[in-house]
Amino acid sequence: MRNTCLIALRELKERVGSRSFLFMSIAGPVLILIVSYLLFAYGGEGKQHWNILIADPTGIMDNKIMAHEDKAVSYSFADGYIEMEEFRDAKQFNSFDAMVEINEKILSNKTAFVFFRVKPSVRMQTRVQFQIERRIEEVMVKRFTKLSLRDFRKIKQPLNVAFRNINDPFDEASDLRGWVGLFFGTIIFVFIFLFGMTILRSISREKSNRIVEVLLATVRPNQLLGGKIIGIGLAAFLQFAVWMIIVGAGLYYLRETLFPDMLNASNFDIVQLTKDAQTNADQLFTSKEYNEFVNLVFERIQFVNMTGFFLLFFIGGYLFYGSLFASIGSTSGSESDGQQFVLPIIFMLTLALYAGYYTLQNPAAELTSWFHYLPFTSPVVVMVRLSQGYEPGQGYQIWLSLLILLVSAALLLSFAGRLYKNGILQFGHRLRLATLLKWVRKS
Amino acid sequence: MLEIQRISKSFYRKSALDDVSLIINEGEIFGLLGPNGAGKTTLIRIINRILEQDSGQIRINGELMTDRHLDSIGYLPEERGLYKTMTVEDHALFLGRLRGLSKKDVSVQLEHWLTKFEINDWRKKRIEELSKGMAQKVQFICTVLHDPKLLILDEPLSGFDPVNVELIKQELTEMKANGKTIILSTHNMKSVDEICDRAALIHQSKKIMEGKVADLQEAHKKGEYAVKFRGSMIAFVNALWTGFELIDKEILGDDRFIARLKMRGGNNFEDLLKALIGQVRIEAAWEVLPSMQDIFIELVSERKEALDA
Repeated sequence: MRNTCLIALRELKERVGSRSFLFMSIAGPVLILIVSYLLFAYGGEGKQHWNILIADPTGIMDNKIMAHEDKAVSYSFADGYIEMEEFRDAKQFNSFDAMVEINEKILSNKTAFVFFRVKPSVRMQTRVQFQIERRIEEVMVKRFTKLSLRDFRKIKQPLNVAFRNINDPFDEASDLRGWVGLFFGTIIFVFIFLFGMTILRSISREKSNRIVEVLLATVRPNQLLGGKIIGIGLAAFLQFAVWMIIVGAGLYYLRETLFPDMLNASNFDIVQLTKDAQTNADQLFTSKEYNEFVNLVFERIQFVNMTGFFLLFFIGGYLFYGSLFASIGSTSGSESDGQQFVLPIIFMLTLALYAGYYTLQNPAAELTSWFHYLPFTSPVVVMVRLSQGYEPGQGYQIWLSLLILLVSAALLLSFAGRLYKNGILQFGHRLRLATLLKWVRKS
Repeated sequence: MLEIQRISKSFYRKSALDDVSLIINEGEIFGLLGPNGAGKTTLIRIINRILEQDSGQIRINGELMTDRHLDSIGYLPEERGLYKTMTVEDHALFLGRLRGLSKKDVSVQLEHWLTKFEINDWRKKRIEELSKGMAQKVQFICTVLHDPKLLILDEPLSGFDPVNVELIKQELTEMKANGKTIILSTHNMKSVDEICDRAALIHQSKKIMEGKVADLQEAHKKGEYAVKFRGSMIAFVNALWTGFELIDKEILGDDRFIARLKMRGGNNFEDLLKALIGQVRIEAAWEVLPSMQDIFIELVSERKEALDA
């Protein structure tokens, strides 16, 4: 264990001391912040004013949504059922840009649909979603709890507002939360690829400069491989932590300085909507929490949940793919040989990314279920599914997927350990499948 | 110190070591010789527990060797490397700690060796800044840093300039005097002649010779003598007459030569000297012992001929 720690520490120190680590630690989050800035600075461009019809046949919303008028959105209420096709085709609805369907199940399934004619900007989607969500919360507090609105918000389940194109109602990609999940999945993809390649390069380098023989005279191959994977993994965690700190600080800075208009809470001053919530008004008004930008970043993304599962699936994915990268590094005869064999892994990672996108588009498809459980796609897909929200009672799926991933990673690690032990001192050969099989069979 | 008992090892049906047994005594420098591919490196890797033998066992001080004995071994492989981006000090610290030393011990030992080799100013240099010879000195230091009782050095002199070759040889001799046991795998036969006490020759996975260097030379000598003299070569040859056979000569100057000859008709070294005195001025005369290189070539050739036949 001592030797494994020493090797892990050396790897960590080498990675952290490298210029590329420093560069990526700064460039990565800065890029995210720039994209965030552009998204929020220009994401709202497009149609500046939206006229929205709320179809609320059971009167859940009580013909109210905002105490103060939002200049960007006008709401009208209809108290009957309106089919999507009717909304799309009937002349009397032509003046409305979108219809929000509030059916009687919304209080139990927490799902609302927004049917739009032209896809709203991210900014507008966030704004509409926010306003509906706040109103539904008010209704729920009023009807079902004795909690204050503030306390209720601490324990609430997020409302799933699905945006549907009336001309393409099955396009479910407009679920903003799904994109957030895909973003997290992409981060997993990027980290696994970057640090998986680091494992490969580190092993290839030790092999080509022959220091591995000095090390193997002191430590067992499994200790060496384990130390390497742990050390590089810790470097990845450290970099992720740096990213989170910089991105968090950057978003806070953006909220406070570059987008002060978003802090105008009067647009979202829903606290006066019901008398029950009146007592919380001052707190909410002054909390500066309620603007769309802050709402997306600090409320809509469930950071604790997402980050927790992100870390678990990152560990699983890193071990899974790291084992594959390590196998290639230890068995290839030269660095160039190793790079050729990386292509199948890149293909798998790309498939994982595609699977995430596919899940975003087709959350209910059968293929999505496969992608959700396949260990080489699950780290990305679960992030998307997690952000879209699991149906009640389906929470076990995420743990099952994690279990499959961890078991597969453990099997691959054992496989990589055998290849490492038998292949690390073989130099200059051409890698063949038959040789690999021999090495795997040999204990 | 180290007993290698009937070690065999094959790689996918190809034999790398076949029933090899060796005894390496405490406090000796043992030369492990053999042509490329003979199985020396495989044997060394087995001793270091990098590879596992198919059969046979290794005992160290009478105990069956296990991982815990590795801390008492210092191993310098033939194709050795260093982490290029690390400093000399960090490298020594990393390898020293892997060998069980504390940070403080590494620091003390490193100071000792850097001072000894007069390279104290390299301490903070990155390995990539060092020349090949400098890097090899660092590798040597990292090998001996934990003060191992048994040193296994695979071609330790390759890559060094003559001055440093002498420095390393001197160091090995000093270590031997301090009771260390050293296994030297090398193609540098001169160094075997000079510093090894005993040697073994491995050829095509089998041990074909083992013994004291002096005994081996004695056993393989061919009754040749050399005479270094000043005078006329014609007078020298006339003096030999039929009692001695001139095999070879080396011209040192206008009238200085070294002649190599064999005895004939029961003549001995004294007879030779008697025959030459008065004919030429003898500066030196000695019995020619075969070098380890001669023995190596002879044995390998014999083996090849036997296999061909």
